[in-house]
Amino acid sequence: MLIEQLINGLTLGSIYAIVALGFTLVFGVLGIINMAHGEIFMFGAFIGVMITSTLNAPLWVAFAGAIIITAIMGYMLERFALRPLRHKQGVSHLAPLISTIGVSILLENLSHHLFGAGNHPFRASFAEISFQIGSITVYLVQIVIFVISIVLMITLSFWLGKTKAGKALRATAENLETASLLGVDTKRTITMTVIIASAMGGIAGILVGMAFNSVTPQMGLSMGLKGLAIIILGGMGSVRGAMAGGLILGLAETFIVVYGDSGYRDAIAFLAIIIILLIRPQGLFGQKIST
Amino acid sequence: MVLEIKKICKNFGGLSALTDVTFTINKGEIFGLIGPNGAGKTTMFNLITSMFIPSSGEIVFNKENINGLKSHVITEKGICRTFQNIRLFPQMTAAENVMVGEHCRSQAGVLRSVFRTKSQKKEEQKIKDTADELLEFVGLAKYSEVVSENLAYGQQRRLEIARALASRPEVLLLDEPAAGMNETETSDLFDLIKKIQAKGITVLLIEHDMPLVMKLCDRIAVLNFGKKIAEGTPEEIQNHPDVIEAYLGREEEDELYA
Amino acid sequence: MFAELINPYYLQVASFMLINIILGISVYITLSTGQLSLANAGFMGIGAYTSALLTIHFDLPIILGIICGALLAAICGILIGIPTLRLQGVYLAIVTLGFGEVIRVVFVNWESLTNGSVGISGIPHIGREMLKSFQGFGFNPSAIGLQNNQFIFLSIFLLLLAITVFIIWFFRRQHFSRVGRAFAAIKLDEKAAESMGINITYYKVLAFAQGALVAGFAGAMYAHILAYISPADFAYHRAVEILIFVVFGGSEVIWGPVFGAFFLTLMPEVLRFISEYRYMIYGLIIIIMMAVRPQGLIDINLLNWFKNKRETRRQKHGAGNQKDM
Repeated sequence: MLIEQLINGLTLGSIYAIVALGFTLVFGVLGIINMAHGEIFMFGAFIGVMITSTLNAPLWVAFAGAIIITAIMGYMLERFALRPLRHKQGVSHLAPLISTIGVSILLENLSHHLFGAGNHPFRASFAEISFQIGSITVYLVQIVIFVISIVLMITLSFWLGKTKAGKALRATAENLETASLLGVDTKRTITMTVIIASAMGGIAGILVGMAFNSVTPQMGLSMGLKGLAIIILGGMGSVRGAMAGGLILGLAETFIVVYGDSGYRDAIAFLAIIIILLIRPQGLFGQKIST
Repeated sequence: MVLEIKKICKNFGGLSALTDVTFTINKGEIFGLIGPNGAGKTTMFNLITSMFIPSSGEIVFNKENINGLKSHVITEKGICRTFQNIRLFPQMTAAENVMVGEHCRSQAGVLRSVFRTKSQKKEEQKIKDTADELLEFVGLAKYSEVVSENLAYGQQRRLEIARALASRPEVLLLDEPAAGMNETETSDLFDLIKKIQAKGITVLLIEHDMPLVMKLCDRIAVLNFGKKIAEGTPEEIQNHPDVIEAYLGREEEDELYA
Repeated sequence: MFAELINPYYLQVASFMLINIILGISVYITLSTGQLSLANAGFMGIGAYTSALLTIHFDLPIILGIICGALLAAICGILIGIPTLRLQGVYLAIVTLGFGEVIRVVFVNWESLTNGSVGISGIPHIGREMLKSFQGFGFNPSAIGLQNNQFIFLSIFLLLLAITVFIIWFFRRQHFSRVGRAFAAIKLDEKAAESMGINITYYKVLAFAQGALVAGFAGAMYAHILAYISPADFAYHRAVEILIFVVFGGSEVIWGPVFGAFFLTLMPEVLRFISEYRYMIYGLIIIIMMAVRPQGLIDINLLNWFKNKRETRRQKHGAGNQKDM
């Protein structure tokens, strides 16, 4: 029982971590909280539903489709909602936040019109396959989700640490002006960051669809707020923090459902936001926020 | 003695910005604080106005230790400052900027402000009159309705002084008031600071314009690498071997004798 | 003749418009110290639930219920305002957003008190109560040629109108005073404001509490006009909707949120066919406004321009074209 819950928590947590990574990349490079990230994630999930259920295509096509569509959405977000605000005189630092809130509400209601308000089941062909190890039941889906998440995290870490583009991204995150003096094409780096973050959101969307077997337009908002809670927990802009924070939230939510009141499951994330920001505003892994 | 700086130290992380700095400022004098860039002068201002808390040492104002008080309380007690990189309220008019300066010398709260009681009207009128007087005093009477970000650079500096004066300080801290000013403006500034002194206000001044400092100040303290290396009258400072070595001789000779 | 002009439906729309105006103002007040609060939907909910529960369970008169609701919202505003002072800009916005969500989750889960996501119905209706007390004095709407429900909606509308006018008057006066200057100084440069002797802690918490008070009041009125509330009324979407009034209308002057709430409540009523796409249009409005005119449609320059226009063009008639600005 305990171990099964642990596995459930880790599965959920690794999805959360992927969502949070999208947030943290954008925050690290642009200093912007992308309130539309949850909705891009939700679109990824719907693309998955469309491709697997409506077109009956295999799962990898769904992943490819979701990545492409969400990457395009990321580009549009950067091009139309973020770039016009950059380097503009007298624009408050709240403007990008408000602008992405606009994108989020636009996308959420767009999905209502495109996909309908109801619940869409997500059919993965291997949804029912499970293993019995002693008294523990493990679903194949959980393993797939976990493996994909880990691979994604490792790839991202490697990419950030070792490749030229990754280094350019980190330099830009460190200091935009210095990076551009050092010859980094910051405009391209920023666009790329938003695209990668969005594509990761799209992948997470499909993983959630597989895990919960259901996709709704509202899931963007709740997942977006959770992702936000995670990066605040782990430290804004910290990649390690996003991964750890995701796992912590996933486990905490799973265990409160088992041992506590399931109704307050969604409140954990927000209470975490409030408490962390009041006690340790820099988050678990973040540097001190200077004002 | 209106302001005593006693053995002040300030560390940022492992770096020490100020070490054991001690000096005292007498009532009514113009006291200059000079030194090369990065010597810790502005840090000293930030400590006096409590924007930073000293790592050790005491700041005593009128026999009262003011360490760790909130910035706005220090302004209320009678110490007000200007900023090296002008921090006016850019979208307010010149008059409004000065009126904000009078905040701690007025009382009206929400209810009195909204219902415009007699005392509030009187107070508001007085705030306006004082603002006009102060603008006149710094020579900006014509510009009272101009939005401050549209003022010329030298005018902004003088407006900032007027705003600080509006809080009726006993000690006025000026952080590089002549920076970016041309010769006429600098000489106007000289007259203005003398006029402020004549009002009985003590002035503590950070400035790089050496001829101005030497003409203006009654006494001067020199900081270098966070330590005080000399204190005295302008003549003493100009002839002090350490000062010449550390500061004047090395980099800004021409500035001193310009 | 008079009676035919009074259409309860239009009055209902107008009443909600006024509530939206009050909500818009509540965000504007907090924002006038440079703090963005996304918790005002939550404060609105606190006001609504408090007043509804007090009047239902303790038979409190509606007026007292509304006052209690608004005050409790203000107290919550202070409680959340004080610790969040250390936070700036985006962080503050996120905490207030989190707070709003926690409130909603509490409303959903505290079923014994709030009836969960089903919501509370049968809340005393302020219009009917007013009718009753008027009838108690021996007054009958038919005396001025009105049907009962016309009278109900008319009295709600007039009451709200009077309150809205009072709120605008109150905050305009506050704006042009020592307090208003302190707010503006903090918004423009917090450090400089503190150096000039302004107690920024006090004024920031004051602005937060005022915003919460006004939002809580609007929530309480909302509960007693609709007679039914549920947690969904005070969720994220409400917070965003209120924010849009300010983003669209303008955040620099009080007329901004007033105009924003007026226009954006009226638009879907007049243009029925777009009402289905309302939130999509809201989203587009936010994106476009932030890119093109982040201070909102109405700002100080526009007001001054109108003033000048009125003075210089007294004889000529025809309103100027706004788009010149």
